[in-house]
Amino acid sequence: MAGAAPLAGIRVADFTWVWAGPFCTLQLAHLGAEVIRVETSTRICVTRLLPPFAEFEPGPNRSGYFNQYNQGKQSIALDLKRPEAVAVAKRLCAASDIVVENFAAGVMDRMGLGYEVLRRLRPDVIMIALSGYGATGPDSDKVSYGPAQVPLSGMSSVTGYRGAPPMHVGISYGDPTGGLHGAVAVLAALLHRARTGEGQYIDLSQWETSMAVLPDAITSWTMNGVPPPRDGNRHPGMAPHGVFRAAGDDRWLALAVEDDAAWARFAAAIGRPALAHDPRWASLAARKANEDELESLVTAWTSTLTPEDATAILQAAGIGAFVAATNRDLAEDPHLNARGFFAELPHPEVGTRKHVGIPWRMSASDCQVRAAAPCLGADTDRVLRDVCAYSDSEIAALRAAQVLS
Amino acid sequence: MPHALGHLRVVEIGDGVAAAYATKLLADLGADVIKIEPPDRGDVTRTRGPFPGGVPHPEKSGLFLYLNANKRGIALDVRTPEGQATLDRLVARADLLVHDVHPTAMAAHGLDWARLAARHPTLVMTSIAPFGLTGPHASYRGADVVLWNAGGVATLNGEPGRPDLPPLKAFGDQSGFQAGLNAAIGSLGALFARLASGRGQHVEVSTQECLAAILELTFEFWPYCGLVASRLGAKPIQPLCFMECRDGWIFICCVEEHQWRQFVEIMGRPEWAEMELFANRLARGANFDALQVFLQEWCREQLVQELYDAAQRRRVPFAPVSTMGDLLASPHLAARGFFATLAHPVAGKVTMPGAPYKLGATPWTLRTPAPCLGQHTAEVLAELEVG
Repeated sequence: MAGAAPLAGIRVADFTWVWAGPFCTLQLAHLGAEVIRVETSTRICVTRLLPPFAEFEPGPNRSGYFNQYNQGKQSIALDLKRPEAVAVAKRLCAASDIVVENFAAGVMDRMGLGYEVLRRLRPDVIMIALSGYGATGPDSDKVSYGPAQVPLSGMSSVTGYRGAPPMHVGISYGDPTGGLHGAVAVLAALLHRARTGEGQYIDLSQWETSMAVLPDAITSWTMNGVPPPRDGNRHPGMAPHGVFRAAGDDRWLALAVEDDAAWARFAAAIGRPALAHDPRWASLAARKANEDELESLVTAWTSTLTPEDATAILQAAGIGAFVAATNRDLAEDPHLNARGFFAELPHPEVGTRKHVGIPWRMSASDCQVRAAAPCLGADTDRVLRDVCAYSDSEIAALRAAQVLS
Repeated sequence: MPHALGHLRVVEIGDGVAAAYATKLLADLGADVIKIEPPDRGDVTRTRGPFPGGVPHPEKSGLFLYLNANKRGIALDVRTPEGQATLDRLVARADLLVHDVHPTAMAAHGLDWARLAARHPTLVMTSIAPFGLTGPHASYRGADVVLWNAGGVATLNGEPGRPDLPPLKAFGDQSGFQAGLNAAIGSLGALFARLASGRGQHVEVSTQECLAAILELTFEFWPYCGLVASRLGAKPIQPLCFMECRDGWIFICCVEEHQWRQFVEIMGRPEWAEMELFANRLARGANFDALQVFLQEWCREQLVQELYDAAQRRRVPFAPVSTMGDLLASPHLAARGFFATLAHPVAGKVTMPGAPYKLGATPWTLRTPAPCLGQHTAEVLAELEVG
């Protein structure tokens, strides 16, 4: 961990809100970029207004949702409806390597902060727009919310219990998927700029990034004209494969038996080694043909054990299995805690609390959550002075004119 | 136009989605990716399908063809000394090695980081493991359904009134895609760090952690409020739900009050906006049993596209529950050129998802179809001879 942070010295002007854009810039903050969020108290980021609030007490700096996805960033308050504020934003962009936004298509242009404007201020700037539908095309003016990307992408039409209606997936999956793809694109553009000096504009459509992770469903249609069926937790190439009732109140065990050899190990692990040779179960084809009965057989075993005990037994036999973990299970998970996955850094309003950290580790670079999420506008004066080169009296004048709110 | 990553040489030892998607992201931006597969069976996704006509064939899996386009493929058993010697020569000219070999099998595959780092000081190696390389569960295994649960996503999805139904996973190997995305980010971060340091390093990705990182607002309910999130709780905000129309399903999305007021106008029931029962999003959530019946009765007479367009004209973010056919027929996606078709020597023409982003100066490109098993073995070995 002796080295510098990978993106040390890289500055990001972050105009994003809600989840997709902030998740993109969170990755850059993890890698050590200086990420400066441009916010306003006249239209507060949605996630600052959503629960959970620390001890149920609402407040724009007290939301766990915001504080999770904005760790290690700074915040300036700037009312972009004011022309003076747009001038400040331009100075910030001119001093930044990367500009990230996830407004609806065209909003940055209308504010006078479009790519053609910014590249004149800073020719090598890398700008990425993460919109719902993309910057071009007949639907580009449509509005999109995170939860709508799951049905729009086609994911809902192939997700659901067997024979039942389409389902959501429990989270606004298009947002993190879009944000991560955005981080990949930005990092590739940074490497290109490092070699050539050339910046560029990146148009990311969350709809498209959501379809990029559905190739099997899409090629099922393009090859055969049929979509894959909604089939609950089952898998065409593995059985048993699902989430099975365990002992306890609403406790469940997920497991997957990957092939016939694993089935033999599974049979031995549950104390019924003869099942390995029983023609009703010995082959994948047989297990798929009798899958309802197979799942009853599995449940008869899982329902007698806590999911933790069942996990230990199956993993010892080389079978993939784990508890259907809740948020509390994760927070208390001995493995994740032993790995130092969680970030617990002091925050002026909510104190020191557990937040999810970085899913990767680097052996030679400084890669860590560097600070808790910022309070709204906490870094306004410092950024205006040190990054945008305003004098103290200019800052005071902007504040008096209520531009910095 | 140039490629953003046209200068990168990447070696992949991938079996499944995770490592293959990480290097696909790089290959599609120009990296020269050499994929190593075991000669006897190839990558497991070759067996996963979908297949034309539903007939399994190792060169015709839609999933494999998508994940491995733009790569070259060699058949090499890296569990043998000869295979490891070849791997060593491949890695000697590579910038990045990405693998998803299970931690308990890494040494047998020649993936000993201390040894590789000593021999190849500028190499970046990215290891993707279900539960990471360290900690009490490092030896644990897990297919997507296991990891989607271990990362806490599955418990968020189900039917609120149906405790008999298990937590439900999303379609496909989404755990693999998330791990692949994180691996690409970590890898590119390490390559950027190398510009300054001149040194490679080891990047380790835990799939469980990749999933625990995308729980939206639910994880923090425990540290902030002491509450356990559950798929069985009623949604606090409504309507935010699926409704069946005459010709399919639509997603009704009224998060803000102005969106609800627009929706009742569309339905011709403006008086609903004044009803105390539905006065605000929280009241609509509390009284959703009643509201749902009214909404479903009205929606059942509508056409999906007409309702979608009507809502969007009023800036209300409804969306269709797209079928695969809807996606392939979308004029918008066609105008953006999203879907891409590649001709494969065995599988024929296959249409698949294309560019997930448009980089203005260094475009995403689809250049060559996925390799047949061992297709480039001789070619790559000859390059190693030349040095």
